[in-house]
Amino acid sequence: MTAIDTAIRAAAAEIDLIGVTKSYDAKNTIIPPIDVTLRPGEFTVVLGPSGCGKSTLLQMIAGLERVSGGKIVIGGREVQDLEPKHRGCAMVFQNYALYPHMTVAENMAYSLKVAGVSKAERAERVGTVAKMLGLADFLTRKPGQLSGGQRQRVAIGRAIIREPGVLLFDEPLSNLDAQLRHDMRVELAELHRRIGATSVFVTHDQVEAMTLADRILILNKGHIEQFDTPKAIYHHPASVFVAKFIGSPPMNILQVEGDGSVLRLADGQAVANYAGKGKFQLGIRPEDIAVNEGGSIKTEIRYREDLGSHEILETKIAEQNLRIAMPFGVEIDTTQTLSLSFPQTRLHLFEGESGRAIANAFGDAQPASVKEYQ
Amino acid sequence: MVENARSINIAASILLAIGILYIVGPLYLTLSTASQSYEYMLRNGLAWVPGTELFANMGKVIHDTRIPIQMLNSMIVAFSNALATCILSFLSAYAIVYFRIRWAGVAFALILATIMLPLDIRVITTYQVASNIFSPLNAVLDFTGLNSLIETMFGAPVQLELSVLDTHFGLIAPLVAHGTGTFLFRQFFLTLPKDLFKAARMDGAGPIRFLIDILLPLARTSFASLFVLTFLSGWTQYLWPLVGASTPDMQTAVVGLARLVPDADGQVPDFPMIMAGAVLVSLVPLTMIALLQRFLVQGLVLSEK
Repeated sequence: MTAIDTAIRAAAAEIDLIGVTKSYDAKNTIIPPIDVTLRPGEFTVVLGPSGCGKSTLLQMIAGLERVSGGKIVIGGREVQDLEPKHRGCAMVFQNYALYPHMTVAENMAYSLKVAGVSKAERAERVGTVAKMLGLADFLTRKPGQLSGGQRQRVAIGRAIIREPGVLLFDEPLSNLDAQLRHDMRVELAELHRRIGATSVFVTHDQVEAMTLADRILILNKGHIEQFDTPKAIYHHPASVFVAKFIGSPPMNILQVEGDGSVLRLADGQAVANYAGKGKFQLGIRPEDIAVNEGGSIKTEIRYREDLGSHEILETKIAEQNLRIAMPFGVEIDTTQTLSLSFPQTRLHLFEGESGRAIANAFGDAQPASVKEYQ
Repeated sequence: MVENARSINIAASILLAIGILYIVGPLYLTLSTASQSYEYMLRNGLAWVPGTELFANMGKVIHDTRIPIQMLNSMIVAFSNALATCILSFLSAYAIVYFRIRWAGVAFALILATIMLPLDIRVITTYQVASNIFSPLNAVLDFTGLNSLIETMFGAPVQLELSVLDTHFGLIAPLVAHGTGTFLFRQFFLTLPKDLFKAARMDGAGPIRFLIDILLPLARTSFASLFVLTFLSGWTQYLWPLVGASTPDMQTAVVGLARLVPDADGQVPDFPMIMAGAVLVSLVPLTMIALLQRFLVQGLVLSEK
């Protein structure tokens, strides 16, 4: 480890949310009681569609929003009634929220200045952080003279300069273009490894979630749908919501009915063997569908999208949309009826009404790699 | 629409020339009259040719009238008005924009209402209040019946009295109660990034520190333009200073100028001297405009948003 690596290193704190809830009035509950523990040094991504309460959750941890009930414990201290500055958190905002009239150095040092740190120490800490983030040449510039990526770096620098135990990110990459977003993602992962602070990262971008997270917390209307590692979430979605949310293109969900031995589509085609009766939802990822001569499921191609690395076929079976991802190089005659089969180990079964996953419906479906990871 | 036709150009030039003449004409007449002697004016009326008596007339204004002390009054009134308006507007806009107050909308609407109800309309009630600033309190006590209660208990009702007429405070305070500045600052604050306040809180800065360290430096130009605008309007106020101050030593320069015209019938006013006074009194706002034009324009642009 170099000198820079050790210079900024936070004592990561555990975050416990105990029955935390938020409502603005009696009718509108943004977040019903939530219980969750974020382990020290863990990188948690809070993922969900807009309006699911993920930013509210983050701001409650930060202290920018009051909790309506419950407790927030950071590093063993109850903090729900404390001001943000006493919680040991720092935050990176979506639109950077840099102080426009201050230079880069002043922006980063402001929290230290407020805290009464001496000028010499401020300069030293700014120097360290600036070197770490590649901002050393821009210290005297104003935010208006920087590019989007540089501004985001300043915002990150401002957050880590106090060596907070908890780092909070509120969709920090959504204002950047695709290339920059990718670069910053890599940089963030690297930074997290070096600083080691417990990080909470809010986003609606599943790619950010999958690549950055140690664990992903998926929120839907304030409820936790699933809280697990990216791989587990991808391979074992806990509900239809999660299954549809993760993966691009998303998992196909088919409405099926079980007669005690097989699951059938509305038009009578049998798609899988299962010893249950009643309505179910069957999930299969587009890339897991096997297209072969011997397949028993018949469908016709309605549309095809060539993405270079792979091809997406839009088809329909029993009046339900089905997407198939074809690897590069497989030639498909689009005019002919397609024969498919659903590999049993790749199927996901969900309850018809609630959409909750039924574990091990088709035997042990875990790929070997996932088992190792856990 | 930008037209390049020659005929339109000529027409536009003529129109502009007429406009300029219309504006500059009276100014020229003021200056030329100010530079003539009283006797010249008695013989020839208003002067169209400049004379040599300008400084003599100005000297007369300075030595023989109350204009110098009245200019000082104007200075105090305009400066305090501008400063107080800036501070008050800044603080109220801060409260309205950055804090989740349930009745913020109502408060803002009431502040805006002051723009629609200027002092000129409220001059009589304002005079009543200024003549006894406790009169609203007395009225409330009377109205609620508290006073009769107090009278039975202590033998006499509460009747507080304090007049601010004929004081600098009395001249300034009613002018300050005006919503334009609040509106200006509010619009400016709304253009700032929304998360700035949160970022400052995360950095450990409380509301006061945020106000001083972040908001004030950012609002510098708005502050300056509002200051210039309110200073000018304070300097040129006529109605309220006329009503609110009765002794010559308390009146402002603009009122003092009007008072230079003798009340008695039959006497010809010393127009050269009055014009010289007008020139003197205009010097202050003129200098201000010349020096701070930049802010004046910015202020106008901001308030149009």
